[in-house]
Amino acid sequence: MNHRVVKRTLNVSVLLCLVLASSAVLGLFTGSTGQNPWEVLALITGRGDPDSVTASIIWRIRLPRVLLASMIGATLSLGGLVFQTLLRNPIAEPYVLGISGGSAVGAILGILLGLSRFPGVASFAFAGSMLTLLLVVSISSGQSSVRKDSLILAGVMVNAFCSSIIMFMVSLTRDSRLHNILFWLMGDLSITDQKQVLILFGVLLPCFVVLFLFANSMNLLLMGEDMAAGMGVDVRLISLALLGTTSLMVSATVCHSGLLGFVGLVIPHLLRLLFGADHRVLIPACVFGGAAYLVLCDLVARTLPAHGEMPVGVVTAMIGAPLFIFLLAKSRR
Amino acid sequence: MKPSLDVRNVSLAYGKSTVLRDISFSVREGEFFIIIGPNGSGKSSLLKVIAGIARPGTGDVELFGRPLRGRSRKALARAIAVVPQTQPMDVPFCVAEVVLMGRSPYMGLLGMESPEDLRVAENAMSFTGVSELARRKFDRLSTGERQRVLIARAICQQPRIMVLDEPTASLDLAHQVHIMELMERLRSHDGTTIIMVSHDLNLAAMYADRLLLMRSGKIISAGSPGEVLNYETLERAYGCVLLVDGNPVKNVPRITLVPAHALPPKSGG
Amino acid sequence: MAYPFSLIVVFFLGLSAMIPWRCEAGMLPGPGGEALRGPDDPTRIVSLAPSITEILFSLGAGHRLAGATDLCDFPSEATLLPKVGRFPGPDLERIVSLRPDLCIALKNVNPADLLDRLGTFGIPVYVVEPKDLSTTMETILELGRLLDAEASAEKLVGGMSSRVERVKSRVAKTGSRPGVFLQIGVTPIVSVGSHTFIDELITVSGGRNLAQGPVPYPRFSREQVLALQPEVIIITSMTRGLVFEHVRDEWREWESLPAVKNQRIFIVDSDLIDRPTARLAEGLEMLAGLIHPELF
Repeated sequence: MNHRVVKRTLNVSVLLCLVLASSAVLGLFTGSTGQNPWEVLALITGRGDPDSVTASIIWRIRLPRVLLASMIGATLSLGGLVFQTLLRNPIAEPYVLGISGGSAVGAILGILLGLSRFPGVASFAFAGSMLTLLLVVSISSGQSSVRKDSLILAGVMVNAFCSSIIMFMVSLTRDSRLHNILFWLMGDLSITDQKQVLILFGVLLPCFVVLFLFANSMNLLLMGEDMAAGMGVDVRLISLALLGTTSLMVSATVCHSGLLGFVGLVIPHLLRLLFGADHRVLIPACVFGGAAYLVLCDLVARTLPAHGEMPVGVVTAMIGAPLFIFLLAKSRR
Repeated sequence: MKPSLDVRNVSLAYGKSTVLRDISFSVREGEFFIIIGPNGSGKSSLLKVIAGIARPGTGDVELFGRPLRGRSRKALARAIAVVPQTQPMDVPFCVAEVVLMGRSPYMGLLGMESPEDLRVAENAMSFTGVSELARRKFDRLSTGERQRVLIARAICQQPRIMVLDEPTASLDLAHQVHIMELMERLRSHDGTTIIMVSHDLNLAAMYADRLLLMRSGKIISAGSPGEVLNYETLERAYGCVLLVDGNPVKNVPRITLVPAHALPPKSGG
Repeated sequence: MAYPFSLIVVFFLGLSAMIPWRCEAGMLPGPGGEALRGPDDPTRIVSLAPSITEILFSLGAGHRLAGATDLCDFPSEATLLPKVGRFPGPDLERIVSLRPDLCIALKNVNPADLLDRLGTFGIPVYVVEPKDLSTTMETILELGRLLDAEASAEKLVGGMSSRVERVKSRVAKTGSRPGVFLQIGVTPIVSVGSHTFIDELITVSGGRNLAQGPVPYPRFSREQVLALQPEVIIITSMTRGLVFEHVRDEWREWESLPAVKNQRIFIVDSDLIDRPTARLAEGLEMLAGLIHPELF
């Protein structure tokens, strides 16, 4: 029984990492144009012509997209896990504190102003989500501690209010920007390049590390705030740190990809069912497992329809909703 | 002997209602100290102040001569362990995982257990008799079993003071005695100070070295069971008729409730 | 809360001031801002809009096309071209895989992000911006210069121009300007405001666009349309395959409308009046015939 948790964490991480790697490779092989798989294989293994069109497509279109999908999948799953623990609510998901509403309003404003996706629309989306987060926290903070129920209520209200603003803006728009807006609202991974991917990685990696350091504290929080405090957890500080870090990373991804539902809700439950509730195992599991999930969903979104592509958010919802119902049924027993 | 706990002039208010008024007492090291009193007397709040979970409005609390204020949460957790009144719900962990949580105050940044941590946890589980339940899910256990698991967890903190809030409430008789016996063994074995809130006066009388009787946030009486448990004091505190005689098992008072119909009829009618 | 809020507003304003504004119509600069030159003799052109495809074919340059969007349907040869996805947002991968030596796009219609990314692949992008009749003719001339088809372009534009002049001169002879309500949306009822192709065509063909105004695609309730008392109702749509007979029948129930009394409710093909191509002249003539049947 030595280093039981370390071994388990490593085993689960390695397993899911392999799943992620295979999904990523599969993602490089598939796309809207049928590239010769042998050529693709040659390029991946280092041989092959780096100047060919296939190389361009693989390295500069598909690879950034796969990387973006994995980072966003990881972030949303991890965000869902943290919020579910922090708010002691099994249907909490990463957008619950108004992040989706705020970033959507910001993004739509950016699109209506004619800004390019990055950095224009992305900055507006980020600013929007930070504003709504501030609003939600200030509405719900009566006492010095972070009160869970009022946070959730405030988040739901702010999101609903933002929805109405969004509907209003959408109803006014009638030109090609409408197309842009709708794709953003449904989750869109198509506009990305290497620079974006690197910047995002630079923001997300520290957040993942910080959250992993809080893994044991999160386990203790599940026993109740008083009990956690009695075992040495500074509940207020840790809650704020978790809230801040998670909101930051979720906002950062939303402004690149739009709203992708069901990933943050379903993946933590699925992984909890498979690997147990210990956060020291679940956090790396969510990172790699969530990444693999979104890479695969994006793959489906890119290859299923005959013309163009489906928004990824549609695929995550179509797969995620039945999966969630199945998990719910399983947990009832 | 240095007092393990020294409470001086502590008052606590939640909003407009005052829960503790000018409480002062001390507990010696290795003492079995039980706090009794009717509901709403402030017993649970007092425990929270002692454990450092609630900060008193006025007054000081000292642990082994050092003030509670300013000590880090982790350092406090190594000195005091709390077993709360209500058991946590929806705990997705198994027994061994719950018990190991008690080692958190000693674990490093990443929170990975060392062989020493595992050894302490195994000892704690065998001490409270839950070793066979190690792999079972916490939520699936009976109330009594869960209580023993939570106590094992508290023991893992290797505290010098163990604080328990009504640990025997809602337990069946066998478990009630078992829990009290565990505490007594902990006290005599390791010299741990036991501070407990109890609603069962007879159990308190049989195990306590000293009692603290509270009502409405104030101390009514403090001392040995024989000193505190007398008819006048108890009636003043609880506001009902009680019969106090000698406990046949141990040389302490025995409290018996008197239902209204058992009272002798008033003379003259 | 006011202080941080005002900071945010200032931040937004500052941000928008930093956005590099798009260049004028013409060749887009490369990713580093450097001026890109298109190929002298492009043979693998990808058109990113149906109107552009049409113009290229009408200039006799259809053979230079290597790809088009799925909405590119005129002339019929265009449907045989390899497809690069939807309009206005085509698929980057498909465009790149066709190895184009030039892309031609519509400014402010095709997404700017996509056009920039094409630049990073070394694919030159030429943007045009036809906004009305005269700029459409300029666009045709521009593309003619670009593709070495100046003669065809001038002939085409010459023909368009004379047809437009003919309509104008005939319309000038009469002072009547019937009120026209042109409906492009069924539910809800949507018409066209000022600064659209259709508005200009209506005006030039001697009608009065009743939905004129700053909103490009304003919505109307049936009541509002009745209050306008249109003398001509024209029904069209940008969506394909919808049957409009029932829409016409619905209007016929409102007998108080002049358009119903005089049986002047018409259904037209939107491509003729909404696409910035040489066929606009045809669309103009058609509208003129509907609005002033006595003159044409």
